[in-house]
Amino acid sequence: MEAVVQQPITRDAPVRLEGLGKEYGHFTALKALDLTVAEGTSLGFLGPNGAGKSTTIKIMTNLIRPSRGRAALFGIDVRREPTRALARIGAVIETPEFYGYLSPLETLAYAGRLRGMSSKDLRSRSEAVLKEVKLTEWADHRIQEFSKGMKQRLAIAQSLLHEPDLLILDEPTSGLDPRGMAEVRDVIKSLKDQGRTIFMSSHLLGEVQEVCDDVALLNHGELLIRGSVRELSRGADTSTIQATFLHPATPQDLEALAGLPGVEEVKPSSDSTVDLRITGGQEGQARVLEGMIARGLKVITYRPLGSSLEQLYLDRIQESDRL
Amino acid sequence: MTPSPLAQIVTVAAYEIRKYIRGRRLLGMLILLGLIVGLFVGLPPALGIKYASTPDAFISTFATFSGLLVVLGGVLFAADALVSEHEKRTGYFLFPNPVRREVLVLGKIVASLIVCTAVLSLYYGAAAIAALIITGSLTWEVGLSYLYTLGYMTAVVGVAYLLSALLKGTVAATVLTFFLFTLIFSIIGGILPRANVEPWFIPTSASGIIANALGGPAVRPGPGGGDVGFIPDPATSLLVFAGYAIAGGVLAILWYGRRELAS
Repeated sequence: MEAVVQQPITRDAPVRLEGLGKEYGHFTALKALDLTVAEGTSLGFLGPNGAGKSTTIKIMTNLIRPSRGRAALFGIDVRREPTRALARIGAVIETPEFYGYLSPLETLAYAGRLRGMSSKDLRSRSEAVLKEVKLTEWADHRIQEFSKGMKQRLAIAQSLLHEPDLLILDEPTSGLDPRGMAEVRDVIKSLKDQGRTIFMSSHLLGEVQEVCDDVALLNHGELLIRGSVRELSRGADTSTIQATFLHPATPQDLEALAGLPGVEEVKPSSDSTVDLRITGGQEGQARVLEGMIARGLKVITYRPLGSSLEQLYLDRIQESDRL
Repeated sequence: MTPSPLAQIVTVAAYEIRKYIRGRRLLGMLILLGLIVGLFVGLPPALGIKYASTPDAFISTFATFSGLLVVLGGVLFAADALVSEHEKRTGYFLFPNPVRREVLVLGKIVASLIVCTAVLSLYYGAAAIAALIITGSLTWEVGLSYLYTLGYMTAVVGVAYLLSALLKGTVAATVLTFFLFTLIFSIIGGILPRANVEPWFIPTSASGIIANALGGPAVRPGPGGGDVGFIPDPATSLLVFAGYAIAGGVLAILWYGRRELAS
């Protein structure tokens, strides 16, 4: 595991996972996860489908039991004292279904009453969160009429209702259209700005980069990387660049490109476009560009495909898949 | 601050009752109830048959159907109460709240008992009013039969909750609850006496006290058309009802508390 930056850990960190593991029969969904999230930070919990992200979140929210290890929220063991542990959190897990016979207002009232909110608080908070997720006009409609995206918005609204100190979000933009995704990201960013702790799983790297300070990468139930987004991006050495030439590249050109220092792989994507995997960070990219020009190739465009963090993500996932 | 478990039970029960009121099940049950009462009251004069002359005899015809209403109540208002949270994925909304699983189950059981009691009370209330109008009197035995019906209902609800906690699908839970009380228990209760075993512990056999309280048929023919049936005495029957209700409810709470919401 590569640890770039560790946040200061307090005794009652919002999230502390210790040797957390889970087996479903003979299948190991989670091996022995150790992870701590410090107060006021936002962690992006990344990994491909089946990596163990949802399993971790379900253990944290007491939906499933760990096979070993423990999950503690604000220092309270979720398994031993679920009511106390869950009191300060708001959660969106997968795309939850709601009771179709209730309206959003009634649904929020149900959740709020279970949490002991007063009628006055419930009224004002319900209005505020429904406005935040743009469901005000639908506040009194039965949920059975709602689309998946509307249900996802309501899920986010109910997670914010009691102004939780910790938000646990399992792929919160799942099921939303691009505009809805952007709106939800804005909501999460504003919560982050308010100093709330956010634990957000996603398989969308861009989303995590946009919203989170820290990132933890999981695959096959194992933690591969944990660190701050900024440090990991800076530290990532390899990137993929797409170069487009004025004239189609000949086999000799491709061979010459492959021979340039720092070039790890050359993959033609059309007659005049090639994708180059380059090491050496930004200086390496500059050297390769100089090499192309020196060889007489007329470069029209030269642009990175995805971020360096994305490349790091893909590399680590591939590496872990090979093992 | 998280409210007390009792306050949470009341909240869960209130929302469950709202579900039954807004759903079509309660409406369907009330229509069925109206149909049964209408047939019992309207059919005899239409066919030129005289009504029974005593209130007990009049209501005993209603009482023979109350067992079926109890089972339908268990099927419609209890059997899928727990399993549906998993199958319909509403558990992803409900379970991450600071509320213990046993509190959720208790709240749902309370709601089921209230709704079933309301339906059976309406049924017996309608029968009692009809008896009062037609025969001009009522007896305490009618009230006793009603109380026995409620006792049987608690047993059915308890078992329905256990099946709801154990099974993976709503269809399996509702179908099994229905056939357990209309077929399986009846078959066992009918066959055991032939092997010289008194089926006092079978709830459908014990439910015979509902009609018996009104001087109804004390003998229940077995599946082979046999002439010997067995109905335990009221005290034993009530203990049997309580046993099934408590065992079913407690096991449902224990099992559901361990059940995972994995997929």
